[in-house]
Amino acid sequence: MGRDHWSAAGLALLAIGYLLAGRRYPLDTLATPGPGLVPLVAGVALLAVAIWLFITANRAGLADAATTGGLIEPAPRRAAGRPLVLAAALVIYAAVLPALGFVVSSFALVVVASRLIGAAGWWRPALLALGITGVSYLLFARWLGVPLP
Amino acid sequence: MSDLFVALTPANLLACFVGTVLGTIVGVLPGLGPAGAMALVLPLTIKLGPTAGLIMLAGIYYGAMYGGSTTSILVNVPGEAASVVTTIDGYRLARKGRAGAALAVAAIASFVAGTFSVVALQVAAPLVARAALAFGPAEYFALGLLGLVLLANLTGRSRAKSLAMVLLGVMLATIGMDPLGGAVRFTFDLAGAQAGLSFVAVTTGLFEAASAVARVKFRELYPSREELRRSVPPMLRGTVLGFLVGLMPGPAATIASFVSYGVEKKVSKHRAELGSGAIEGVAGPEAANNAAAGGGMIPLLSLGLPFTPSTAVLLSGMLLMSVTPGPFLLRDHPRVFWGVIGSFYVGNVMLLLLNLPLVGLFARIATIPPRYLMPAVLVLCAVAAYSDNNNIFDVWVMVAAGIAGWAMRALDFSPAPLVLGLVLGPMLERSLLQALTIARGDIGGLWASWPAAGMLVAAALASVAPAVSALVRRMSRRAV
Repeated sequence: MGRDHWSAAGLALLAIGYLLAGRRYPLDTLATPGPGLVPLVAGVALLAVAIWLFITANRAGLADAATTGGLIEPAPRRAAGRPLVLAAALVIYAAVLPALGFVVSSFALVVVASRLIGAAGWWRPALLALGITGVSYLLFARWLGVPLP
Repeated sequence: MSDLFVALTPANLLACFVGTVLGTIVGVLPGLGPAGAMALVLPLTIKLGPTAGLIMLAGIYYGAMYGGSTTSILVNVPGEAASVVTTIDGYRLARKGRAGAALAVAAIASFVAGTFSVVALQVAAPLVARAALAFGPAEYFALGLLGLVLLANLTGRSRAKSLAMVLLGVMLATIGMDPLGGAVRFTFDLAGAQAGLSFVAVTTGLFEAASAVARVKFRELYPSREELRRSVPPMLRGTVLGFLVGLMPGPAATIASFVSYGVEKKVSKHRAELGSGAIEGVAGPEAANNAAAGGGMIPLLSLGLPFTPSTAVLLSGMLLMSVTPGPFLLRDHPRVFWGVIGSFYVGNVMLLLLNLPLVGLFARIATIPPRYLMPAVLVLCAVAAYSDNNNIFDVWVMVAAGIAGWAMRALDFSPAPLVLGLVLGPMLERSLLQALTIARGDIGGLWASWPAAGMLVAAALASVAPAVSALVRRMSRRAV
């Protein structure tokens, strides 16, 4: 199974879950359509498209390889873990934001993110974090009066 | 008409200037797109009030069109989809040492086309608005459906994938209150989800946070100078073509640039050189995408329907400032309407003046290392998502959208159709349910009127056309 097969399967699962969750909203009649009608149509349509994607995935994959002619290099395996760590950092950021507040959590996020994306050492990321957090705090919270967590 | 001069007040001039500069920078930076950047500054523009706020947002929109061509030419990285075509000849010109000429032609072509489309917009928008008054729910439904089908046909490499993203967007749009009855759906008892997913949170996450996670590649600069002058005919052709394409629903600027390139390949005197660094390949598409960006404002301003992610952000900005685009915009908010249009003139002049001397500087911005830029973008995403509704739930939505956006890119799905599905979803649902109610449950009511039937037929044709043409191609290949 190729990459597109897996994404088609994922989309189909999503559509089925959505349809199941949408069962509790009434359809009523066509003359007085209820809140369940559009979710039903959208869910069934996505399921159909997912099946279509699954069937055509093989052909499309071959055509892709033919047209790009190997011009697009696959990403190196080793770097693949980094986005996952950054994604995890973002999740932790959202989780601690209400408890620690904007300044502290953003400082930590910038330090972690710039290290992950390739900054060396600790001094530069820390200075960068101080700058970004400070400027955005002054700009948004103080000057523009935008509420921050 | 005197309301046009609203754009010349100092505050609005400043808003226009800030918008165009921001837009140019955003267009220059690969990975940052106009839609995400507009969503980032949306909370800020609300403070400015409707006219200045919308002028700034619009400035980012067409500033990014300019900036996008700069990096296409200099570093072979299109800043956004509409300048992909420009990389073909633009980058080759730059490698031949004619980068200066290519950049200047791109700027002038954008200026000519932008100005033309503003004039045409002035004439056409009130006409379209008047016609739109005759539009009922069935017509809106047909138009929205047609737009989404065209969009799925033309974005990304796989139609199935684009269509899946459109549907996913429509499904996400069903979260929260339903547009007619007010029943709360798919919230799973999360208080923050009742009002629906924040559009700002989803857009900043999908476009900006995702690109920070995925990390974009940068290349070297090859700027230099030379003069050229074969670009007038393709520029004029591109302008007219682009504007006409812009009137149609769909990702107009991108289509227009491809169509213009195709036309130049057929009719240009120097068509043999196209593809190996011909100035026509820059002048035509650049004029076309700018004219289309102007033309794309017509469905937005006079029908209230956005067909690109950027105009969708503009629409949500308008709604947040309690300006409802549509047939009544001209009547209810003439100063906003003409002020924004007037700012297009001013913005085009500003962009020309900015771009000709500062092109080198803008190009250098493209070389800011992502390790410094992307963390800042992440923090801005969090601020934008939170301040939309002062709600931590929206920060979660942004984070989830960011991770989903990264996964989508890795799996070769485009986020643009999803955003449009999300924006057009409630409109589609409302008009479908209203049309059914009006027709007393008769599905035929959806195609009872000529415009509605015409658009539905067009949508049906558009959805089968690619399959048919592929079949014909396969059969003819077999015949040979």
